[in-house]
Amino acid sequence: MSSEFTRFCPLADVPVGGKKAAKINDTWVMVCNTNDGLFAVSAICSHQDKPLFNGRVRNCKVTCPVHGARFDLKTGEPLDLPATKPIATYEVRVVDDWVEVCL
Amino acid sequence: MSEQALDNASNLAPGQARCPNEPTTQEIIARDKVGAPTWVRSESYAYMGSDDVTIDRYVDPAYAQKEFDRLWTRTWQFACREEHIPEVGDYYVYDIGRNSFIVTRTAENEVKAFYNACLHRGTKLRASNTEGCASEFTCPFHGWTWNLDGSLQKATCDWDFPHVKEDEFGLPEAKVELLAGFVFINMDHDAPPLAEYLGDDFLGHLKSWKMENRYIVGHVAKVIPANWKLTMEAFMEAYHVIETHPQVAVSNADANSQYDTYGEHVNRFISSLGVLSPHLRGQYTEQDVLDQFTVGDSSVLSGADRQLKEGETARQRMADMMREMFEKATNSDLSGVSDSELLDCFSYTVFPNTFLFAGISLPMVYRFRPVANDHRKCLYEVFFLRPVPKDGNRPEPAECVMLEEHQSFKEAEGMDPGFGEILDQDTENLLLQQEGLEATAKPGITLGNYQEIRVRHFEATVDKYVADNA
Repeated sequence: MSSEFTRFCPLADVPVGGKKAAKINDTWVMVCNTNDGLFAVSAICSHQDKPLFNGRVRNCKVTCPVHGARFDLKTGEPLDLPATKPIATYEVRVVDDWVEVCL
Repeated sequence: MSEQALDNASNLAPGQARCPNEPTTQEIIARDKVGAPTWVRSESYAYMGSDDVTIDRYVDPAYAQKEFDRLWTRTWQFACREEHIPEVGDYYVYDIGRNSFIVTRTAENEVKAFYNACLHRGTKLRASNTEGCASEFTCPFHGWTWNLDGSLQKATCDWDFPHVKEDEFGLPEAKVELLAGFVFINMDHDAPPLAEYLGDDFLGHLKSWKMENRYIVGHVAKVIPANWKLTMEAFMEAYHVIETHPQVAVSNADANSQYDTYGEHVNRFISSLGVLSPHLRGQYTEQDVLDQFTVGDSSVLSGADRQLKEGETARQRMADMMREMFEKATNSDLSGVSDSELLDCFSYTVFPNTFLFAGISLPMVYRFRPVANDHRKCLYEVFFLRPVPKDGNRPEPAECVMLEEHQSFKEAEGMDPGFGEILDQDTENLLLQQEGLEATAKPGITLGNYQEIRVRHFEATVDKYVADNA
């Protein structure tokens, strides 16, 4: 894993309660701005590779809209069936009002 | 029995005796500064006989199976709160025994409950104990998909299923009704409407509580090693307070609590707080009562002045303090709320498995469900409901904290330690009671005519559903 941060989006694009998914190189990344801060995770569900980005975020957890798996945004851990494997989590920071993610 | 009690009992018809030489609940409440509404100032007790209640209902797995076949399939049950599913597509999975339902908002003012199983080869469309948001329900096995309204959207490779007719493959539904922020479901399509099931008296009470304007600030669950009905009955009377919760009795009118029944599906008690137990008469001062007062949500009382003035009662000081501090702590307007509603414990059973507490200091909802395939285990949930803040911004409902069987309720995040202690005491007796009922030489339990009327009333309705083969 490299330690380089990449500009992801302007902070204004992800207000608290909002989220955004985009590709960094070939990796789909989702950034969620929650009451507990910013989190960056894989935008693809570990269960059957379905897109997570239309999922509901509540209490720092995201629920896959396709089959209902749920993941902890802080750790990527799977919390509900049908998922049994975690999703990737990435370091995230804000520099000059830009959200930056480190893959 | 004291001579006094015997005298009283012998001169009265069965069920008419009340705790001797003590004020009734109504008399205690009538002395309050801010008077109580009519739903508090009413009584509805009726004697239902003194026969023992048979114990097969607690110990026989065959009885539990009859309940699954005849009771759970025909009663209105609290499946979730509307706040769990605020937006179209939000869903909450509710299980009862082996039955499972996806309760989902299909339009702004419409909620449906679908049987949670794929109509192809049966896979659950959503795992049990989950919630989330969906734009459609797709089976994780072969991808058959249903629209939010339950209509079939896609049978994968439909060329291979010419026998699957779209109009015959909508997801089966249970009945749904919304009331006071609660989503109720019923598997029986011939069941009476919820309003008829609950009755006008209780609906009047419920309406005045405005529970739709509350939100879940805490949610704790634990499996209790006892039959679900035993577990519920542990909360149906204040008769156990003096023995089980000695720390509470100092400020609880336990033996003079009030018990009421309404139709077949609702009963209640009112247990006044801030007054000394009749069991302890003469042993404590008013200042002692105030000093030992505990409430469900005592965090809001930290730092309060607890020194009584000459002639002041503990109950009135407590009411005044709670009004001020609860308003501050919860940012809500309690100016129209009576002293009794602020202080007292109003415990209602809504048949079969829900308790609603109408008060402000004890703002709980309990739900009890038998664990599938084990009549000796019950999933017990406690929800704490606070008024939505004055600014109108409804916080997200708290997530459920699932305790292990060995854990104390005090360990749950956000639980008031004093209240956690009470729940521990309530539930610690239950394994011994379950085992005692399995060991006993006596075929029934014996109940007090007045203080245990809720247990008798509840079991009479259980009997009605279980006996009725319809």
